[in-house]
Amino acid sequence: MAAKPGSVPTTYPPNPGPKTRPPIFKDNDLDWVRPDGRGFHQCRPAFFRTGAVNSASGSAYAEFGNTKVIVSVFGPRESKKAMMYSDTGRLNCNVSYTTFATPVRGQGSDHKEFSSMLHKSLEGAIMLETFPKTTVDVFALVLESGGSDLPVVISCASLALADAGIMMYDLVAAVSVSCLGKNLVIDPILEEESYQDGSLMLTCMPSRYEVTQLTFTGEWSTPDINEAMQLCLDACDKLGKVMRSCLKEAASASQE
Amino acid sequence: MEYVSPEGLRLDGRRPMEMRQLRAEIGTVAKADGSAVFEMGNTKVIAAVYGPREVQNRSQQISDQALVRCEYSMANFSTGDRLRKPKGDRRSTEISLVIRQTMEACILTHLMPRSQIDIFVQVLQADGGTRSACINAATLALADAGIPMRDIVTSCSAGYLNSAPLLDLNYIEDSAGGPDVTVAILPKLDKVTLLQMDAKLPVDIFENVMGLAIEGCKAVSNYIKEVLLGNTKQLEYRRGL
Amino acid sequence: MVGLSVGEKHFIQGGIAQDLRSDGRKRLTYRPIYVETGVIPQAHGSARVRLGATDVIASVKAELGKPSALQSDKGKIAIYVDCSPTAAPVFEGRGGEELSTELSIALQRCLLGGKSGAGAGIDPSSLVVVEGKVCWDLYIDGLVISSDGNLLDALAAAIKAALSNTGIPKVDLAAETTGDEQPEVNISDEEFLQFDTSGIPVIVTLTRVGRHYIVDATSEEESQMSSAVSISVNRKGHICGLTKRGGAGLDPSIILDMISVAKHVSEQLTIKLDSEIAAAEASEEES
Repeated sequence: MAAKPGSVPTTYPPNPGPKTRPPIFKDNDLDWVRPDGRGFHQCRPAFFRTGAVNSASGSAYAEFGNTKVIVSVFGPRESKKAMMYSDTGRLNCNVSYTTFATPVRGQGSDHKEFSSMLHKSLEGAIMLETFPKTTVDVFALVLESGGSDLPVVISCASLALADAGIMMYDLVAAVSVSCLGKNLVIDPILEEESYQDGSLMLTCMPSRYEVTQLTFTGEWSTPDINEAMQLCLDACDKLGKVMRSCLKEAASASQE
Repeated sequence: MEYVSPEGLRLDGRRPMEMRQLRAEIGTVAKADGSAVFEMGNTKVIAAVYGPREVQNRSQQISDQALVRCEYSMANFSTGDRLRKPKGDRRSTEISLVIRQTMEACILTHLMPRSQIDIFVQVLQADGGTRSACINAATLALADAGIPMRDIVTSCSAGYLNSAPLLDLNYIEDSAGGPDVTVAILPKLDKVTLLQMDAKLPVDIFENVMGLAIEGCKAVSNYIKEVLLGNTKQLEYRRGL
Repeated sequence: MVGLSVGEKHFIQGGIAQDLRSDGRKRLTYRPIYVETGVIPQAHGSARVRLGATDVIASVKAELGKPSALQSDKGKIAIYVDCSPTAAPVFEGRGGEELSTELSIALQRCLLGGKSGAGAGIDPSSLVVVEGKVCWDLYIDGLVISSDGNLLDALAAAIKAALSNTGIPKVDLAAETTGDEQPEVNISDEEFLQFDTSGIPVIVTLTRVGRHYIVDATSEEESQMSSAVSISVNRKGHICGLTKRGGAGLDPSIILDMISVAKHVSEQLTIKLDSEIAAAEASEEES
């Protein structure tokens, strides 16, 4: 599943053309290269495919470098009897790791907060009022953790929701940026994440230009925040296009 | 180990029949219907009462009386070594049950059919006698919430170490492994509603120790009445009566 | 959780739009903060913070441990929050777990900085006793006793107060050890080391109701929010962490505006909190 047959995965620079290399890391870490040879502002090639799980209402598989996730969506189905009546639908999210996802076996359980983060980034995009009294379950499974797990899970989940035919205002694209020294690196891999001084994760609805979730860790100054956010928004825009084309491809394939 | 010195003093300097200092405060949790803090020496607990209100889980509804529920929880920092246990271990389940049964016996549940009363006790500091302190705090919180009761319930513990009956054990004395008798009484009706003991005691000494614990309960009840009276006076004053 | 009528909702929203909230505050005014330190004698440091009807306790406990192999020059700091059912019946049993985790993660994000330890409020390398062998593990426990909105700001303030109240026992090496042996240490009962808490950020939560944002929302106001952003700002005016709650999307420019407002508000809050902590410490010493 690593690559589409007949097409070479390409990296997509979030900023057009020469702007991809800002001067900040020239004077600082001249000989520093990212472990996978990317530019600081270059995302990993993104690969999406819908329909990975047959039994689910909708599902998607995403692969960003070594990060591989499967998200399946079930529902909308009747809410549990014990739940109170609600005139909007419920969204139930769960992120789990396979035991072999991490370099050390079974370390994935450290990410308890991912489920609630996934919920918070998606709920703003889904038209919950279109399926009252029912629940949509989103189950994400990280097959291999290669850094930026949560953003990949979020993007993949929104694609799976679209595949399931759940009404949404827009797709949700997520990107994270790590701050290493003075440099901002987009879409960090596991190794970079473990040395980061700070990080930012932004999820947005690209065509509505709305941020659904945003987290910062570490110390940031205002100019850095502006730069990092702009970087993420551009990357989300590009990622949104990749996701959209994946959906279109799946739709045209089913028509044939 | 010597728990009572030859001069007749305990480890914390008390006499065998002496209680720790009591302190109580009513209305500490603004959002609750009734709440209280109760301190016995270094043991400090908060109790909050919500209700009577509609029963949350319909299947638990009782048609002719109120449903009383109780949850006991300990703060992570309440013990000397940091507590790592998750919520809902066996010990807290047992204490929740004990408190629930004790309080249920004194609440006039038949006056509030098809409703629910929740009692939550939170231990902030544990230094022995948490059971008693929780019951005392719960009584105050119930009284603050204005829930009809037969009488207030007060509780105190007593133990027997170095062949001397000791009132109101602290943590060191409690963990010495000797007998520990916890009693709760309805002081006005002069009835015992809770009696628990671990380890063993000869019957004649048991009577002695239990008598001591009951004396302790009475002392607590005097204090609680004082606090309630003071609180009511203050309410009266605020109303401008 | 909060059941409000249409009229009440309208009243709250209308008040916020006119910069006069239901309790008479302006949009960017905090409720009075009360700080009490040393409330848990068994802990190395503790504090209780009250913001209106919100009441939280934070305690700091230090234990000697071994630094992790990856970061041998740093101690470990863990933050856990527990929501007591006394605060609200919904926290009963496992009901409070979700909120507790959310608050713990948000506090960790805002106070502990990045993975490398940069930007942390407490320098983790100050916790090391012997590099690679002995360090202090700091356990910060928060407990929510009563909840009336704005828990995160109150918890961060309580943690800041508890840390400035904390004395870590001084540790002496007992004997020279060689090689891989675990060194023996003496823990002093008399001498305590204080933390430098000037770098610990405060958290300002801006709650968006309608087109405006307010600080220090009560639970009634929180029920009307479309989204909320918690921003931790340190004394230098740098952002140390940011968490967004609530589903509704925000325009990026609004977020940037919120950050600048939070910075402005944090200046006053830091000053206020510092003076309250100093007053609490002074009154504790007196008694």
